[in-house]
Amino acid sequence: MGTASRFCHVRGERFLNAERLTKAYRVGGETVYALREVDFAALQGDFIVINGPSGSGKTTFLNLISVIDRPTSGEVYIEGEATSAQSEGQLAHLRKTKIGLVFQSFNLIPVLSAAENVEYPLLLQRRPRAERHERVAMMLDEVGLADLAKRRPNELSGGQRQRVAIARALVAGPMIVLADEPTANLDSKTGEAVMDLMRRLNEEHCVTFIVVTHDPAVSRYAGRRVRIHDGRLEEGERDGMAASAA
Amino acid sequence: MGWRLPLRSLWRNRRRTLLSLAVIALGTAVSVFVLGFLENSRLQIQDSTVQQYGNLQIASPLLWEDTAEGFEYLIAPDVAARLDTVWASEPTYRGSTRQLQFSGLLGAGRLTQVITVTAIEPENGILDFADLAVDGRGLVAADTAAAFVGRSLAERLSLGVGDAVTVTLTTVDGAYNASPFLIVGIYQYSNEQFEQQVVFVPLAFGQRLLNTAGFDRVVVALDAVASTEPAAARVAARLAGDGLALEARTWDVLSPFYRQLAAYFDALFGFLTLAISILVFFIILQVLTLAFLERTREIGTLRALGTTQGEVFRQFFAESAWLAVLGSLVGAAAGSLLAVGFNAVGIEWRPPGTIDPVVLASRIEVEVALLPFAISVVATLLSALYPAAQASRLRVVDALRVE
Repeated sequence: MGTASRFCHVRGERFLNAERLTKAYRVGGETVYALREVDFAALQGDFIVINGPSGSGKTTFLNLISVIDRPTSGEVYIEGEATSAQSEGQLAHLRKTKIGLVFQSFNLIPVLSAAENVEYPLLLQRRPRAERHERVAMMLDEVGLADLAKRRPNELSGGQRQRVAIARALVAGPMIVLADEPTANLDSKTGEAVMDLMRRLNEEHCVTFIVVTHDPAVSRYAGRRVRIHDGRLEEGERDGMAASAA
Repeated sequence: MGWRLPLRSLWRNRRRTLLSLAVIALGTAVSVFVLGFLENSRLQIQDSTVQQYGNLQIASPLLWEDTAEGFEYLIAPDVAARLDTVWASEPTYRGSTRQLQFSGLLGAGRLTQVITVTAIEPENGILDFADLAVDGRGLVAADTAAAFVGRSLAERLSLGVGDAVTVTLTTVDGAYNASPFLIVGIYQYSNEQFEQQVVFVPLAFGQRLLNTAGFDRVVVALDAVASTEPAAARVAARLAGDGLALEARTWDVLSPFYRQLAAYFDALFGFLTLAISILVFFIILQVLTLAFLERTREIGTLRALGTTQGEVFRQFFAESAWLAVLGSLVGAAAGSLLAVGFNAVGIEWRPPGTIDPVVLASRIEVEVALLPFAISVVATLLSALYPAAQASRLRVVDALRVE
């Protein structure tokens, strides 16, 4: 796919970073911190697994760096651009062009077929029909669902749905894919297959993957491990791939 | 995906979609049927009014305003020739006839009745009322002291064709005049009061009774009712240009009854449509609010993928637009079918003040269905504005949290 060759030469460049990222909520008159002054940087081509127990702030962190939520304080930079002052429209444009999302519950649009779900981000980018169809077919082929293109989400298994979601996240050539508990609703064997797929796509497409999970088994796919605990980030170890990236 | 997603969302929630379509269709159908019914009634009354007044009447303003003390409003015979040049330049002109109206007292034996004598040019081909005859005949050119009286008047005074009656009146000079005449025919009209009051006589006989060579109005027939307004404007301009102190009035202006009735029908339809629109508005508002609420997570997903607020709004509004158009189309078709069925039954009704019953009918025309269709579409789209705006304004992160 064209995307891979486009980004491989920039492997290791800093794409996303967060500075002193804080998210606080008022609960019963008290301020509860979901995230406290977190600093973070992701390099192009990283495969980062963020681990942490339930309620540790993993999803909050993912929401902030995927610009679907705004921090109480601190800043998220994407390609060096601060995002906190950007309008809703500008943030939507960022998500549309640079970020792919994979959800725990797949979040496929139920009335669209697998192919149409994958096509949706390309439609948002107003890509020509021929290009859309070509990329959708290629992407479904990559995730092993070429034969199921016309099936609706309710006609697919959990693993197949997550593959569609991954294809959707990657089809428009994002620089980063953020996955929130992508294996949580899958059995262990299917979860492993999905993680294998994500890791393979990370390598082939040179797209940064950040996977948030509470499942320790997922950590073994990590190029770089990060742990969140009580809203604070602790940098873990890097494997060979991440080290070479850095 | 622009049209696919809204249509498929509607298809996925078939039960709710059918409910919404049924509500919109029912409202539209009732509106189409009622408007068709009112329009049919209005057109019947319009035809009868034009039949009575012609399309236009030309007369002195003194006649219309009823301010003359005597007969100053009468039009001199030589003016008729000047009016011919006015007609020559009017493309929709079909013909005209002179009339002279005055009050008199009709005597038949020991019974008397105040009447309006309408002196007409017999067999004028424009407005001679001959086709209303139910006994005897209408007036003909050879008639002199002849009268064509209404059925109600004839019944009240026990008159028949061939009977002689007397009319007493005041001439233009202020003198009393009385003359016998012969009833040559009895006419039937839709309005009982008209039948009791109006007696037609030949114009020459009327002028002789009134001791004048003049007339008080010219009744003008045009090629179509729709030509009336523009023709009236052109004729008025020509009259003013020719220095004739005459005024052109259209049939609807001449008939206060028609104007009141048309206004009443408009108000009736307006009220009904407003009530239906409000009902449709709130039901659809409720249905769409619930529908969009159920899809909060889907909205969150769309937004997370980069769909803008405007695009979400348009997508959800498009769903409502499909509902609006489909529901209103079905409703317009159902209303027309209802009208076909109703018209086939042929229910009769005798309107107040009329003699013969009329067959109730609802007019079936695209033009009649267009207004209720448009109102239903607008009401549905308005009801979608708020829920669609709410859906588009959802915070992505909150929407994604909804299970």
